[in-house]
Amino acid sequence: MSFVPIRFEIGRPAAPWSLIGVLALLMLGLGRPAVAIEADKQTKACLRCHAMETIAYRDPVSREIVDLSIAPRLLPHSVHGELACTECHRKSYRRYPHPEEAERESFSCVGCHEDDSAEATYQLKTVESEYRQSVHVAPGAKHADRFNCHSCHDPHVFKVSRVGTDIAQVVRDGNQVCLSCHEKARDPQLGSHAWLPKRDAHWESVRCVDCHTPASAEPSRVSHQILTAEDSNRDCVACHSRDARLLNRLYQYRSEEDLARRGLFAKAIFNEAYIVGMSRSPLVDWISLLIIGLTLLVLTAHGLGRYLAYRRRRNR
Amino acid sequence: MKALYLYPGWLRIWHWVNALLFILLMVSGASMHYAGTPWLLAFETAVPIHNAAGILLTLGWIAFVIGNVRTDNGRYYRLRWRGLAGRLIEQSLYYARGIFRDAPHPFHVTAEAKFNTLQQLSYLGVMYGLMPLLILSGWSFLFSVYLPETLFGIGAVWVVAMTHLATSYALVLFVLVHLYIITTGETVLTNPLAMITGWHRERHTPSRDA
Ligand code: HEC
Ligand code: HEC
Ligand code: HEC
Ligand code: HEC
Ligand code: HEC
Ligand code: HEC
Ligand code: HEC
Repeated sequence: MSFVPIRFEIGRPAAPWSLIGVLALLMLGLGRPAVAIEADKQTKACLRCHAMETIAYRDPVSREIVDLSIAPRLLPHSVHGELACTECHRKSYRRYPHPEEAERESFSCVGCHEDDSAEATYQLKTVESEYRQSVHVAPGAKHADRFNCHSCHDPHVFKVSRVGTDIAQVVRDGNQVCLSCHEKARDPQLGSHAWLPKRDAHWESVRCVDCHTPASAEPSRVSHQILTAEDSNRDCVACHSRDARLLNRLYQYRSEEDLARRGLFAKAIFNEAYIVGMSRSPLVDWISLLIIGLTLLVLTAHGLGRYLAYRRRRNR
Repeated sequence: MKALYLYPGWLRIWHWVNALLFILLMVSGASMHYAGTPWLLAFETAVPIHNAAGILLTLGWIAFVIGNVRTDNGRYYRLRWRGLAGRLIEQSLYYARGIFRDAPHPFHVTAEAKFNTLQQLSYLGVMYGLMPLLILSGWSFLFSVYLPETLFGIGAVWVVAMTHLATSYALVLFVLVHLYIITTGETVLTNPLAMITGWHRERHTPSRDA
């Protein structure tokens, strides 16, 4: 397994005051200009160091490299981009060297987002319960204790797919998450996806999660229940068929996205919503082709009959 | 020799544009439906062609309906119910038997009636039955995002796709039969030429030289 753990859970209970602080801020209503400017100033102060790509240290216990760099270009696009660093992190981080705290911070998406708009819109609790059943944290998974939402979603980068985002970009972003750990899956020699023709074309147009999560997880946007290799989907007909049950969500999203970006008329012409063979049904095809074939046969026979009759007439 | 001007200019232009669009739609449609077949269009080429042709076909259909309302071409589509079954059987028997025995055409083209009952019924079915279904399902496909999750308890997209597929197969069938039947005029070329020149020319002699 090509697992390079890039993040750790700091498995201690959260310092209660930081949570309360965040919630209080949430209630006060963030994003007012004065706050934003203040946030900006502070962010800059932290990014003076943390924007450096090489900032990292080796954890004395686990001997793993802890990457401390924050990508300043990705940060503004994140759902958290407008927050001051210390709205999540302890205020004491404003000092450097950072004071050693006995208790290190521990965050979770769901913990910070109880009953707020993010929870309402993205149903984080549902996401979490799906996530709990996923292969990464299922009983017996080797790294389950170190896995959490932040293993896949850097809070400083995390953004949500919106109508208007290029669909290819959505797929790329989503797949980058998986490929950041499953780098070896890229290797064509490895054969884990050798059965899939045009693997790269597929990886550019469908998400890993489209095959690696159960299709039944309607109507939530992205299922977070990653399946085992064995249970993952390899059935072409699940996409290249009439109901394309694996693709329905991406497919609907694509239409919506095209619509928003290009206007009604352009969308109608360049619509990409008809997934290859999506409406193909073997039964309808066979019956139809049979009828068409028989008709052709009858017509040919009829024409031949007319020709023979005509010849007979001429010879007489 | 009798000559009737049956197909005004707008109708002929509509007809041939429609024919061209049908070809485009059938080829591009098959290319998408059977994507991956080597001698068909590439998928990404077929999609814009199909969508553009479908939109034009819709416009053409609307023009056709308006044309039939605004001009007297519409009268050719009005069914005469009396004796309908009899004429239908007569016409069918002609195609099944009489045509091989040099029997006279049971139907004569006049300025009042250019279609025989069989033609009338099939054109009515195609233009006011299949075409609207095809067009509606095609546009639903384009704007599937606005469809409800399910229709009649089945996935909406599925319903749309099947409607589109079934009607398009039926229309392919129509095109085949149409292409053949138009050769059964007085001579093989009587009807095709009429749709090009607008004039229906016939020697109008009940019995041909044997
Ligand atoms: C002068 C450079 C500098 C500035 C400014 C700075 N940091 Fe740091 N930060 C570091 C370094 C170096 C570390 C590595 C561990 C240590 O020394 O504590 C670190 C560690 C951290 C960590 C802990 C990571 C871990 O897992 O242990 C957090 C969180 C953090 N900084 C947040 C902030 C925030 C928030 C700000 C702004 C309010 C900030 N830093 C400003 C240099 C800086
Ligand atoms: C929405 C809350 C939030 C905001 C705002 C935020 N962080 Fe973080 N930060 C986190 C969380 C959560 C973690 C722990 C991630 C993990 O578990 O891997 C973290 C971890 C870190 C770390 C440790 C290294 C890492 O990536 O795991 C550093 C350094 C850091 N943040 C710096 C910053 C700086 C600098 C800012 C301001 C530009 C900032 N953070 C803004 C939530 C936030
Ligand atoms: C330390 C607390 C903290 C953590 C951890 C955290 N967030 Fe947030 N998040 C916030 C705050 C504060 C906001 C700003 C709230 C606002 O603008 O309404 C926010 C905003 C958001 C928004 C935008 C809300 C909206 O309605 O537009 C989303 C979505 C979101 N977070 C998702 C997540 C996800 C997913 C995770 C885990 C990867 C996460 N957050 C982790 C504190 C946190
Ligand atoms: C195994 C990796 C992984 C883990 C772990 C994970 N996610 Fe995700 N998550 C993804 C991917 C991939 C997407 C992107 C799907 C897309 O939009 O294409 C995503 C998308 C999301 C979205 C955005 C949905 C949208 O509609 O755009 C939210 C919210 C979210 N995750 C929350 C969470 C929460 C909360 C957790 C922890 C309980 C979590 N995720 C854990 C992989 C993960
Ligand atoms: C933080 C690193 C990390 C990320 C990100 C990640 N994985 Fe994994 N994945 C692992 C590890 C480690 C395992 C092995 C789990 C075990 O069996 O102990 C694994 C196992 C799997 C397996 C099961 C393989 C098997 O042999 O059954 C699948 C499938 C999988 N991941 C898919 C995904 C998908 C899809 C994504 C993106 C949504 C993803 N992973 C994101 C680390 C990661
Ligand atoms: C078309 C469906 C499909 C897509 C898309 C897909 N996978 Fe898979 N993947 C599968 C199936 C099916 C298997 C199981 C193969 C087997 O066991 O032979 C699998 C196996 C795997 C495994 C476990 C096999 C191994 O190497 O140990 C990983 C990890 C994995 N996929 C990751 C990914 C990632 C990352 C992506 C996105 C870039 C992705 N998959 C996209 C269907 C898919
Ligand atoms: C998760 C859904 C999904 C599954 C499963 C899937 N495909 Fe696809 N496939 C797609 C999508 C979406 C496209 C359109 C790609 C594009 O944009 O060109 C596609 C395209 C293709 C193409 C055309 C590729 C191209 O370059 O245009 C072929 C051939 C194909 N798939 C074959 C298969 C076969 C064979 C299987 C099963 C082994 C399979 N697919 C499984 C979603 C899927």
